[in-house]
Amino acid sequence: MWEKMANIDRRVIYALMILVIALALLNPIGLSIIPSDATIDAYDYIEAMPNGSTVWFGMEFSSGGIPELMPAAQAIIRQGFKKDFKFVACGMWAQAGDMADMAFNFVATEFPEKEYGVDWVNIGYKPGGEVLLPALINDVSDAAKGQDHYQNKLSSLPLMSQFKSLKDADLLIIFCTGTPGEQQYIKHVTGPHNMPLIESCISVSVPGIMPFVQSGQIKALIAGMKGAAEYEVLVEHPSTAMAGMDAQSFSHGLILVFMIIGNIGYFATRNKKG
Amino acid sequence: MKKEVPLAILFIVALIYIVANYFTGIELLDIAKDRLDDWYLSVDAVVRAIGLVNLAQIHGRRVANKREGYGYSIWLMVCMFGMLFASLFWFQGTTHTGWDFMYKMIISPMNATVYSTLVFYIGSAAYRSFRVRSPEAGILLVVAFIMMLGRVPLGAMLLGGNQAFATAADWLLRVPNSAGMRGIQIGAALGGIATALRIMLGIERSYLGGTGD
Repeated sequence: MWEKMANIDRRVIYALMILVIALALLNPIGLSIIPSDATIDAYDYIEAMPNGSTVWFGMEFSSGGIPELMPAAQAIIRQGFKKDFKFVACGMWAQAGDMADMAFNFVATEFPEKEYGVDWVNIGYKPGGEVLLPALINDVSDAAKGQDHYQNKLSSLPLMSQFKSLKDADLLIIFCTGTPGEQQYIKHVTGPHNMPLIESCISVSVPGIMPFVQSGQIKALIAGMKGAAEYEVLVEHPSTAMAGMDAQSFSHGLILVFMIIGNIGYFATRNKKG
Repeated sequence: MKKEVPLAILFIVALIYIVANYFTGIELLDIAKDRLDDWYLSVDAVVRAIGLVNLAQIHGRRVANKREGYGYSIWLMVCMFGMLFASLFWFQGTTHTGWDFMYKMIISPMNATVYSTLVFYIGSAAYRSFRVRSPEAGILLVVAFIMMLGRVPLGAMLLGGNQAFATAADWLLRVPNSAGMRGIQIGAALGGIATALRIMLGIERSYLGGTGD
């Protein structure tokens, strides 16, 4: 028996993992989520900004990041639309335009008075990696070759008449799953031009980003799905992150159970092997 | 001369770029930096084309020699060139139905699927690797426990609403993790500077081809 505990077939782990996640997603029990200081800092920073501020949305992720980052993006858009913020979204990742499209079009249905081109613009993906950022500082329209994600001319969009340079943003909020991401923004934009930066990142990136948060180079961090769920609590609009936290909780619980079983099996069989 | 001239060009261009990044607001340097950034975009495009040719060569050889798993190589080339030619000649931009279909119905779900499967590997790997074989492994296990319970509401639920796990996880992230990460990041940055200097000064020449002599 001890041998079996120490060497459980990985297919058993996979099967139980699917079962636990599916059950949690199909029957969420709504574990209580208490916002952390880091998420409250992000919320308070945005809340303290004057109505009508312009916010840059850096969509630096692809579909793999949707479960962790999309809920945070949508929660911030909700908060921003209530404060009449203007959003300009763009990204160095190939799916940036699609991600922005998904975020804004979903929330815009709740705010029928908000209009594309006036309240938000989706510039979409623009190639070049990190050299795109200095180009956006110089001239957004030039860097974007004058077109948004939907092939509208930027000059035909009212919001873009006030937004000529990345420096025109009052706040930069970026959603990142990797490189290019926060380091490129800090190096080319927020560092040299002393601009505030808030980031929402996937959980595995949090340890690497913490030094930038402590140094103040990132004003606040919405960390992974947990941070997104906390943000949904703060904007009082439960959505997919809160539902996802149940699944994440129980999958963590299952992994911990397996870790305990594995160690019991290991200690029980260690002397026999020795 | 075959190596001296490229080395001299590299040294001068790198020097201009470094100076332009440190001393902003000087018009001539700003123009030079913008021009170099534009050149970077051109080089980047060429590099992608080289990557495309390189991939086609590698997988073309696999298919020609019918090496094990060559079917995957055929599929890779069908997808790679299919998307390339469809984008060049058929899809008229991101609003085209075909483009929309390829991105939203194929690339997006596949991307999400690959990422989602990680949870199964992580679960299996955690079960196998977190064994208390030494005191260090014991510390790792305790930290993993705290982090995994502190980063989800389950931790508080198990303690009847007490946030002890979350507080401990937060401390681990802010203090020991940040200290270690800062060291790694500074070390990597210094290594990057050293490598850049070696290339700039012509000590490291392997990128020029040949043996570096």
